[in-house]
This record gives sequence, C-alpha cells and structure tokens, in this order.
Amino acid sequence: MSFFLKRTAGAAANLGRAVLNNSRPAMVQCVATKTDQAAPQVETRPTVAKVDPLQKAQLVDFGKYIAECLPKFVQKVQLTAGNELEVLIPPDAVLPVLSFLKDHHSAQFANLIDIAGMDVPSRPNRFELIYNLLSLRYNARIRVKTYTDELTPVDSACDIFKAANWYEREIWDMYGVFFANHPDLRRILTDYGFEGHPFRKDFPLSGYVEVRYDDEQKRVVVEPLELAQEFRRFELSAPWEQFPNFRGNPAAEEVTNPGDDKPKQ
Amino acid sequence: MGLLKKTTGLTGLAVAANPHHTLGALYGKILRTIQKMPEASVYRKYTEQIVRERAAVLQQTKDVYEIEQKINCGQAEELIIQAENELNLARKMLNWKPWEPLVAKPPKGQWDWPPAKA
Repeated sequence: MSFFLKRTAGAAANLGRAVLNNSRPAMVQCVATKTDQAAPQVETRPTVAKVDPLQKAQLVDFGKYIAECLPKFVQKVQLTAGNELEVLIPPDAVLPVLSFLKDHHSAQFANLIDIAGMDVPSRPNRFELIYNLLSLRYNARIRVKTYTDELTPVDSACDIFKAANWYEREIWDMYGVFFANHPDLRRILTDYGFEGHPFRKDFPLSGYVEVRYDDEQKRVVVEPLELAQEFRRFELSAPWEQFPNFRGNPAAEEVTNPGDDKPKQ
Repeated sequence: MGLLKKTTGLTGLAVAANPHHTLGALYGKILRTIQKMPEASVYRKYTEQIVRERAAVLQQTKDVYEIEQKINCGQAEELIIQAENELNLARKMLNWKPWEPLVAKPPKGQWDWPPAKA
C-alpha cells in the first residue's frame, strides 16, 4: 500500500513539475534531472520497461567479477537493454568461460537456454555465436558472445552442457560454423539432400531449387529455380543507415573493456 | 535426535549419508588444489574466500540443518554438488591458467553494433 501511495505521489509531483516547467526549453530540465543524482526519476510511462537500479548495480558488479577472475579470456563486458549482461570472449575461450560460469560457486549458470548465431558479412570474423545461460540459484541470466569465420572451428560445448548438442547442430546447419569435438555434427533443420547454409546473408531469399509434385512421374521432383520475373535488385542496406544521426549510438553500455588498447593508468 | 531426512524433494538427488564429513573433505580438496595457483590469481583469491567461509561454518556447526541455514545456498546435498563442481573447475583451471594476460584482442570493429559502413 505504502509503495503504491509513494508511486502515485511521485507521479503527481512529476506532473506538477512538468506543468511548472512548461514555458522553459526542454534542455534546462534535462540538465536539472542529470545533476540531482540523489532522487532517480520514477518511470511512470506504462509502456517503458522500468530499470531496477539495484539489479543493474548487481549485474555491473558481477560483470566486473568475471572480468577480474578470467583476465585471460574476457575481452569486454557490456550491459544491453539496461539489464542484460553480456560477456564478449575470443573463440578459444569458450570452454573455460562456460565451465567457469557453470561450476563456480557464485555463478552457477547450470542451464544453457539457447545458442544463437549471427552473420555480419562486413566483419573480418563474420559469424557471431551467442550463448544464453540461466542460473536458477541466483535467478539470473547471462549472455556469452564469441566470433568465428567460415573456416575456423569453435570448440563444442557438449561436454559442459548436454543441451548444446542440438543447438550446435542448428548453427552448423544454418550458418556452416564447424564445431570441433562435437559427437554428432549433422544437419538438423533443413530437408534431405539440402545444400548450403540458409541463414548466411549471401544465401538468396528464394533459395536455389524448387520442389513440386509431378503428375507424370507420380512423385515429388526437385528442380533448379526458375523465376518468371527478372531477378530484381533489392537494396538490403541496414535500416539504421537511414538514420545516420544514430550511427555513433552504441546499443550497449560498457562495463569493463580489457581488450581495448587504452593505456593503463 | 531429530527426524531422519527421507528425501531432498529434488528428482535424482538422493539424501547424503554423512554430508558433514563429505563437505569437509571436498572443501579441503578445493583449498589444496587452489594452493597450486599463483598468489596473485584473482580466481584463487575469491574461491578461497568463499570456500573458507563455508568451511568455517562447517567447523562451528554440527547440525546439518543449521549449516544449511547459515550457508544459505540450498540443501546439504546441493552444497555437495556445488563443491564437487568447484573442485573439477579448480583442477581444470590449473591447465587453463586464467590469471595470464588476454590471449587474443578482438579484431577492429568486431564488437561494434550497429555495424555502420566505414
């Protein structure tokens, strides 16, 4: 009850302030809210995710803790969307970092929720692998990111997480990233006899073959794709290039960055 | 003598016969493994701190239920699993040597997002 009262009172105060400051330019109010750090602004808009400062502080502390414990393996730790902790590591460090997160007393991320892939052809290492982990003990989630190219194999996490088996097969099928020491690396999502890796950015949207039922042969036949219309050139530039003002806005908030070249104080 | 514990309530996790003794042995093993790491290792420092804390609780208290309350990280059987995991990790860490400087710096622009055209 008291919490509710406080919230409504805070909303009323904000409203009053907005009315009072109405004639002033927006800049002034922005500066004012930035300086009084003691009272963080209460988010009253119902559609905006509320950032929990306590949870955020804990995540920042834990991110620094990991970077401190594994200076050999952690390139960067960052926060995205206010409350999602990401650890960025080189591809050789997948096994040590995942085992640390799973087995260490103050981490205990025993569940592998998913492994995702990402293809950014403009980068020197075009593929990114994203491991999502969950700690039931501490009710926390963490994301581990690494990178690779078409030829370099990444160590399989199957020995640490049984769940990694199928997820890595999915990545192999969709992106063609090879996992070393995987017990059974086969295609898993695509059709029998399928060729290519469909989630790569250079794989055409329409694919290379089409499948249809042939009445004369009484079976399904696979034929090379014939487009009735001339293949149009789609402009597939990234959507944020239409907003060049936002080019310098990083999506993530940096926690620590040991991999950067900055001189140490 | 209180009630004998019949189940942990967790699937696949049997009641430990003598958790006090098992935990003591495991914590001793972890501490001995960690001693082989260099003094400056931060992983060693933090793990030693955690394990010493738990071992101290173990020494002060005889009753298993009270130990669980004081450590506050699950039942004694879960504490055993955590200690086993930490022991395996510490042994592997001796090979991985995580206290060394960074193995590989990221290529330029690898972690930039959004990937604006140069």
